Amino acid sequence: MNANQTVITTVDLKKYYRGDKIKALDGVNATVNKGEVVVIIGPSGSGKSTFLRSLNLLELPTSGSIFFNGTDIAAKNVNINIHRQKMGMVFQHFNLFPHMTILRNMTVAPTKLLGKSKEDAEAKAMELLTRVGLADRADAYPSQLSGGQKQRIAIVRALCMEPEVMLFDEPTSALDPEMVGEVLDLIKQLAHEGMTMVVVTHEMGFAKEVADRVIFMDEGKIVEQGTPDEIFNAPQNPRLKDFLSKVL
Amino acid sequence: MAEWFAKLKADFILNFIDGDRWKWLVEGLGNTLLITLFATIIGIVIGVVIAAVRSTYDKNYENLRKQGGIKFIFSWILNFICNIYLTVIRGTPVVVQLLIIYFVILASVRNSVLVAVLAFGINSGAYVAEIFRGGILSIDNGQFEAGRSLGFNYFQTMIYIIIPQVIKNTLPTLCNEFIVLLKETSVAGYVGIMDLTKAGDLIRGRTFSAFMPLIAVALIYLVVVVILTQLVKILERRLRRSER
Repeated sequence: MNANQTVITTVDLKKYYRGDKIKALDGVNATVNKGEVVVIIGPSGSGKSTFLRSLNLLELPTSGSIFFNGTDIAAKNVNINIHRQKMGMVFQHFNLFPHMTILRNMTVAPTKLLGKSKEDAEAKAMELLTRVGLADRADAYPSQLSGGQKQRIAIVRALCMEPEVMLFDEPTSALDPEMVGEVLDLIKQLAHEGMTMVVVTHEMGFAKEVADRVIFMDEGKIVEQGTPDEIFNAPQNPRLKDFLSKVL
Repeated sequence: MAEWFAKLKADFILNFIDGDRWKWLVEGLGNTLLITLFATIIGIVIGVVIAAVRSTYDKNYENLRKQGGIKFIFSWILNFICNIYLTVIRGTPVVVQLLIIYFVILASVRNSVLVAVLAFGINSGAYVAEIFRGGILSIDNGQFEAGRSLGFNYFQTMIYIIIPQVIKNTLPTLCNEFIVLLKETSVAGYVGIMDLTKAGDLIRGRTFSAFMPLIAVALIYLVVVVILTQLVKILERRLRRSER
């Protein structure tokens, strides 16, 4: 990842709860370059999910800046809704809309927010559904799908907005083991196609294989970052070594 | 036995046929249904507004406080007023509210049915508001986040994602609330309205025979309530089926 254009830069990002008793994020400086796959690992409570969620302001930072394509979206008077349209988000618990069909789940945002016609939005959605092999479930409701299917739908729902960056918040943590593979495969495909993404995960194998850069967080700080090779084969920080010894 | 039947028949004729007194019951039922229907509509409007104000305030409290300024003060005052309304309405008997509105607040309005519609509507609004608010709070926060993460603003998320689910989840409870309201309107006689209850009571006063008119009134309420309950059941089944 040489002199690439940066998509996201955070500067001294802090998130405190209850005054300053709990420091979920304690001064995080990070960058995400265009086309880069950044995987964030760390023990639970390390702030990695908080960090990811603050990138599109689902978590409001206490202080610091988040530059998305050069605009500080953490500043006051920024219309965050416009920026969120460009940042797809995938949640641990899928969060599909249960009262809508799969197709409607995928077309509601493009039609209401991007002004797409119903036909265009549905054509795009069907194309994505075909790609993930779920075209025959277009008229089903989320409750009729398996966990792995739901998560794949959640991913393509985000893709329907044609985002510049995708944020994944532990996308496989709520899945039965046999369904993890199908979701990771889809994320890998996107990575190979050059999608910029930030992934919080516990799947170390996935991190090794897909990441361009791995960030290790602990106690609200970035403790170490580097290529998967550097992080997994030559860890420097004792806390990273300790963490890896437990998870690998 | 035959004697008993003859007495029953005489009683029936005295109470309902003589002087076309059955028409009173019909008129009374008409008033009861009229008041219930319009009070329901007012109740839903008030309930939706109050629930929206309260849950918006609760959900965005952290943001609002952080931004501070006029927006925070305004929403704090709005939420405070809503809380006062809920406390007062739910903390006092509906008869007292009806009397106060009729004899004090709207003393110059002589259309008592209109006053009753307003009084019961305002009363019902408080209960509907809490049903809706509970419905909004029961929706998983992930639904809000998913909506917001796609780029919907707060109100779009409410309209496209949250409210349809809330309506679906609370419809049976709301319908039951209206069945309760139907029965509560039986105190409308306090302000001189001839609703169903009052009609039965008037017949009793005229004929000096209590059994027949009062039992008739009870039966009419029962039939209406049973019909409405059945409709709610059908509705519930429909709603559940659309999930499958």
